[in-house]
Amino acid sequence: MLSRSALGLYWIGRYLERAQHSCRLIADQLETMKDRPVDEIDKSWRRLYGGLRRVPAGGELSSNLGDEGFMLVDAFTLTDDLTFDAGNPDSIRGCLANARENARQVRNVVDEDLWACLNLAFFDLRDLGITDIWRDRPGDFYRRTEDAVRTFFGIAGSNMYRDDGWHFLQLGRFVERAQLISALLEAQLAVYPAGGPTANQAVDQAADPDWLSLLRICAAREAYGRLHSLHYDPAAVVDFLVADPLLSRSIRYALGQVGQALDAVSAGRPLIAEAGRRAGRLAAAIDYDWPNRDPADEEAIRATLRGIGESCRRLHDDIDAAYFSYGPEDGEVGEDGP
Amino acid sequence: MTEADSGAPPPEEGHLFAGYETDPVFYDEMFDTGGSPWDHCRELWAALGETPPDALATMQERAERSFLHEGITFSVYGEEGAQERIIPIDIVPRIVAAEHWDFLERGLRQRLEALNLFLADIYGPGRAIADGVSPADLVRGCPQLRDAMQGVDVPHGAYVSVCGTDLVRTHDGFLVLEDNLRVPSGVSYMLANRAAVKTSLRDAFRRHRVRGIEHYGRLLRRTLAELSPHGGPDPTIVLMTPGVYNSAFYEHMFLAREMGVELVQGADLVARDGFVYMRTTGGLRRVDVIYRRIDDDFLDPLTFRPDSVLGTPGLFDAYRLGNVTIANAPGTGVADDKSVYAYVPDIIRYFLNEEPLLANVETRLCRDPDGLEYTLDNLDKLVVKEVGGSGGYGMLVGPHATAAERADFAEKIRAAPENYISQPTLDLSRAPCLTEDGAAPRHVDLRPFVLRGKETRMVPGAFCRVALTPGSLVVNSSQGGGGKDLWVLSG
Repeated sequence: MLSRSALGLYWIGRYLERAQHSCRLIADQLETMKDRPVDEIDKSWRRLYGGLRRVPAGGELSSNLGDEGFMLVDAFTLTDDLTFDAGNPDSIRGCLANARENARQVRNVVDEDLWACLNLAFFDLRDLGITDIWRDRPGDFYRRTEDAVRTFFGIAGSNMYRDDGWHFLQLGRFVERAQLISALLEAQLAVYPAGGPTANQAVDQAADPDWLSLLRICAAREAYGRLHSLHYDPAAVVDFLVADPLLSRSIRYALGQVGQALDAVSAGRPLIAEAGRRAGRLAAAIDYDWPNRDPADEEAIRATLRGIGESCRRLHDDIDAAYFSYGPEDGEVGEDGP
Repeated sequence: MTEADSGAPPPEEGHLFAGYETDPVFYDEMFDTGGSPWDHCRELWAALGETPPDALATMQERAERSFLHEGITFSVYGEEGAQERIIPIDIVPRIVAAEHWDFLERGLRQRLEALNLFLADIYGPGRAIADGVSPADLVRGCPQLRDAMQGVDVPHGAYVSVCGTDLVRTHDGFLVLEDNLRVPSGVSYMLANRAAVKTSLRDAFRRHRVRGIEHYGRLLRRTLAELSPHGGPDPTIVLMTPGVYNSAFYEHMFLAREMGVELVQGADLVARDGFVYMRTTGGLRRVDVIYRRIDDDFLDPLTFRPDSVLGTPGLFDAYRLGNVTIANAPGTGVADDKSVYAYVPDIIRYFLNEEPLLANVETRLCRDPDGLEYTLDNLDKLVVKEVGGSGGYGMLVGPHATAAERADFAEKIRAAPENYISQPTLDLSRAPCLTEDGAAPRHVDLRPFVLRGKETRMVPGAFCRVALTPGSLVVNSSQGGGGKDLWVLSG
């Protein structure tokens, strides 16, 4: 497949994953704001912004905890920033616009149904602003938008020929997911130290909403409940989201998908690209080293998460060098094939 | 309609054609001068009359919405940067009778054959100029002449492998308005309009036995494959686009998909050791045929415009060595120059020893003193065009211009007469279009596409353009024109 086409599909995967993640984060934040005290809402915003590695317009989150009215105005502004703000390329609208633009440029390799789905999703929110969605059940907007992304991947899964195009779409999606989840976990531990008062809580206590909501954001609450009953032990939650190979939003699962996609696109090539080696090493580190961590040494765990996050970001550079932006002189002349 | 005594009952109030007025000056594509539908249009006329006008309006809206949703758009420049727009469709098809089409097709094949021979001669022995068929200084001074093409061996002599000729119809028959021999576009709208109209008017479509055009992509691919430099089976064909900001990008994408070939930009191609490769996820892969939709100037900065960032350095050398085919060949623009156009009938006689089947529009070159004088004296009656212009830019429609606009234009002509030609304002035929007040006549032209590889091929269809503004003669998409489906009937 033409490198530029593959690159387009890769970015469609990344942008849509990012859009979906933001939808889930904001939908959860809107839930939090319904019934939680102001200081908790404030912390939750910090996790959200930290997890997206974003600094709100104006430099930092305000901490005007005494003023509930101000808090609401703040929520309006922050939600706008994350959803529609033209200055934020990673806003949900920005992500959909970018995904669509990438699709437009490589439309000859994007299935008709996929294009129609993405194009409609974009037109549905292109002309909206925060005031249009804020007054009446704003959560609906995020569910609807997430549904559009899910529909896209559903169509992709059912329609796409499993050639390089499919694998690069998957690659983008799961590279992005590994980065997003590792950043979210780092932010979680920064805002809610696991060794704090909620650790080792008794089963009969009300579930700690901060850890519960983390699971909810990652669509992991039900699976966690089946495995660990309803005891939201921070260490167990982090472990679940980092290392469970069966959880679709765990880092380990995402790396597994990245590895599979890289194997598929490198098939028949003499060398496994650096990207494949890096993904393999990371997965192995999670499988073999992560279980040996000292759950009490939170600093070490945070350092490990930082390392994972950094490696996930490097994956992108490796993929780019191997498949997309190699120089004319570096390119080996390939066999005739699809 | 003015007269209803020649077969058709007078339409009732509220009927789609109730307010339709034919004008004896203009050939009408649906009605004869007596106001009765032509025999070959009768089924459609009846079907349209039986369909409530608001149902037709709904069909039209639905078609245009589907264009937007499917991204069947082109980009317009100006106003606020580039905007994605659809080409509005008029849902009422234009019908061409079988015998009219047969004549048209023969005429188009003849014309393209002669133009390809003319190009081979210009970039080869130069007999035609030596024999005075067209003035030497006209050809040698043409900005579209590409010296680099001298002596290049072009497979099957197919300099122009995709031609999109603009034709109009008057009471005198079809006239060629211009030959588009460089990178003609519009074929995707021909196919999109067909898809939309076929769905909306399926009964009439079936009854009329309309000939299919959907195999255009297949014909194009076959044509391009025949141009492969090594002649082996299954050559690697790519479509080269300037990118997403080009106004015809949708079409580039569409054709690449129809043909099942990669859509490449200059940066995707690498010229190395006299061959051209594309950069794939599996390394560099050799390319045999490039269907380029990018102008000559931007193909290769080493040979043509050095400041171009759209092209591929070294591409032309690989072409000259015969290791890759570029279609259409560089330099074909010399044969569709609006001054050279005036000589095409002579070119046909010279190379084919036949009378041209399709007539030219009477054309005066302002580079000739007589032509200049006539043009300036009759600006209010003439259409004046820039010789290198296209897309309806840089032209004056005398009768529709104000005195001040004409005076301004006269200045431009005097400053550089060789840049202009003039033609009489044509009585372009009209076809019924859907308006808020029922059907109304609008001026139309048509652009059929002729393909030339080892042999010449055509689909029986054309992109029919329509000037949606009442009375307007400008049908260009960039100037507010729309499209219509064109039905060529089986014999």
